[in-house]
Amino acid sequence: MNAGAAANAIELESLTRRFGTLTAVDSLTFSVARGTIFGFLGPNGSGKSTCIRMLCGLLEPTSGTARVNGFDIRREPEQVKRSIGYMSQSFSLYRDLTVSENLDFFGGIYGLRGERMRERKRAVVELVGLESYLDRRAGMLSGGWQQRLALAAALIHEPELIFLDEPTAGIDPVARRELWDLLFELASRGKTLFVTTHYMDEAERCNDIAYIYLSRLMVKGAPMELKALPEVCPEGTRRIAVTSHQPPHALSVLKRQPFSLDATLVEAEVHLLLPETVSDAAVKAVLNDAGLSEGVAVRAIEPSLEDVFVTITRRLASSGKR
Amino acid sequence: MRGALYGYRSVAIKELLHLQRDRLTVVMALLLPVIQLSLYGFAIDFDVRHIRTMAVDLDRSRESRAYLDTLRNTQYLDIAGYLATPEEAEEKMRRGECRVAVIIPPDFARRVGTREPQTVRVLIDGSDSQVALRARMAFLRPSASAPGVAEARFNVMYNPQMRTPTFMIPGLIGVLMQIVTVSLTSFSLVREREQGTLEQLMVSPVGRLGLMLGKLTPYAFLAMLEMGAVLLIGNLAFDVQVAGSLVTLFLLTIPFVIASLAMGLLISTVAQNQAQALQFTLLTMMPSILLSGFIFPRETMPGFIYLITFAFPVTFYLEILRGVVVRGAGLLDLTPSLLSLLAITAILLALSTLRFRKSLA
Repeated sequence: MNAGAAANAIELESLTRRFGTLTAVDSLTFSVARGTIFGFLGPNGSGKSTCIRMLCGLLEPTSGTARVNGFDIRREPEQVKRSIGYMSQSFSLYRDLTVSENLDFFGGIYGLRGERMRERKRAVVELVGLESYLDRRAGMLSGGWQQRLALAAALIHEPELIFLDEPTAGIDPVARRELWDLLFELASRGKTLFVTTHYMDEAERCNDIAYIYLSRLMVKGAPMELKALPEVCPEGTRRIAVTSHQPPHALSVLKRQPFSLDATLVEAEVHLLLPETVSDAAVKAVLNDAGLSEGVAVRAIEPSLEDVFVTITRRLASSGKR
Repeated sequence: MRGALYGYRSVAIKELLHLQRDRLTVVMALLLPVIQLSLYGFAIDFDVRHIRTMAVDLDRSRESRAYLDTLRNTQYLDIAGYLATPEEAEEKMRRGECRVAVIIPPDFARRVGTREPQTVRVLIDGSDSQVALRARMAFLRPSASAPGVAEARFNVMYNPQMRTPTFMIPGLIGVLMQIVTVSLTSFSLVREREQGTLEQLMVSPVGRLGLMLGKLTPYAFLAMLEMGAVLLIGNLAFDVQVAGSLVTLFLLTIPFVIASLAMGLLISTVAQNQAQALQFTLLTMMPSILLSGFIFPRETMPGFIYLITFAFPVTFYLEILRGVVVRGAGLLDLTPSLLSLLAITAILLALSTLRFRKSLA
């Protein structure tokens, strides 16, 4: 099977990896559609990195397998490596080499030569906008520009699938936004992007999300689908946002109420999960009793992705599994 | 004053905790001197014994055999073999297979009881001045204790003035070359690991051997340049002439440089960070100086230490250097050293490629 024939960019089949007695990745099965931005989420230590290392052909699975661009990661790890791009969270290019030299090197180890090399280099430099920095040492670039260079290097051999491991960790908001604009551009050209992140707003930007916790796949789907999951919005409950002049105080008061199923503070509003039977007036009354009457407003809201992950994680933790 | 000492106790306690967590460092600090002292204590001995000697017995009489026995009894000389002609003995010496050759003339037995003194010819390899001095003593002793015993006519073959620089400078070149080459590469992989570039390389199709050899090549050229420089200084400042061919010397330097670089690479795959890489590099320096035959003759080392000396490329390179520079040995004469170097290189490269695979998982 060749790379173009597969409908999915990635297909995992019971992919499992154990280190001694520890199961780092526990029979993951899901697929990533071609041309999508796929968000791979989970807390630190949940098995994300181990999974990516297997998908990149760096680590052999203990059992199960996966196909990446149509290549089996067990039997064809070298073809897998040739067909993917990889960008890690920490800047991993040569700081003492110039932008241009770094690109030449990475093009070279993917076998690019002559006219093809020049053409690819021109294309990636133009894409990320590095034209004026070609002769600058990579170590002298700012964080955002370093990530652009890393992306350019990951794209030099024109891979159809790119793994991005926390690509925006530690860079400023503007650079983060610009990097995401680049990712959208790539997706619009039909590339598949496999992205890990801890930022919820970045997760919202993905077409599809897989959330793993304790080595297992918890949920997978589009952000909208995940928010509509029954365990996130249990039957007979609703979510509201409460505005007030003293949000932390309001949170502390509401949290203590028996009707509060989940409460947190988001952008100076208290987000509250409560039974449908409790009215907005009842909530206002509680706040009024606590001396918080000024500027109180209540509106209904949809759950956020953070709500989704928190709910799922807590449910599993409280059910006492492992 | 109080201010300057402020926090002393907390810092000391914290350091103690670090030490407790980092057992390896404590063990290294305590055990290394002990191990090294016992190792080098046995290895280092100026009182050279068991010098490899070839006998050319042209007389083949009871008397000649008795004479060789007295030589053996001095413990200074080991009669390692018997040869038919003095020419063969000279060739063995050029190849470095023996340091001393005793040639007993055909009329040795006949002269017993006559007024003509018994004489033997002794060829001595002067390239190691220590050994050469000791070898002479073996012949002085029996004549002093037993009057009338054969008189030795010495013929110092190489480095006839037994100059120390002629012996030391080639050795020094070898040791310095190893230190430079090992430290050049021992940092390279570790640095990539620390910078995170190794991860980026591993997801690319670059091959392990391609990576290893690609890393070695530029350093090999640098080391060859270095070789030219030190040789020039040896010649200009210390009047060390290369007796053999320069082309041979440079050709034989190539496998040595690659072997040393491979050793650095192995260190690089074992060490987790640059500090450890430095520690390991220093660890290889001591034995390279003390056990390679640079200062102390390897002949005197006990069996198991003698075996350790084979692990260091510089041991064989010193044979090559002294062979070409002092004795004028050619490529063929030094084949054994060359083969040993190639074997070391293969083993080191295989080990580091293997280690490298493991260190990634």
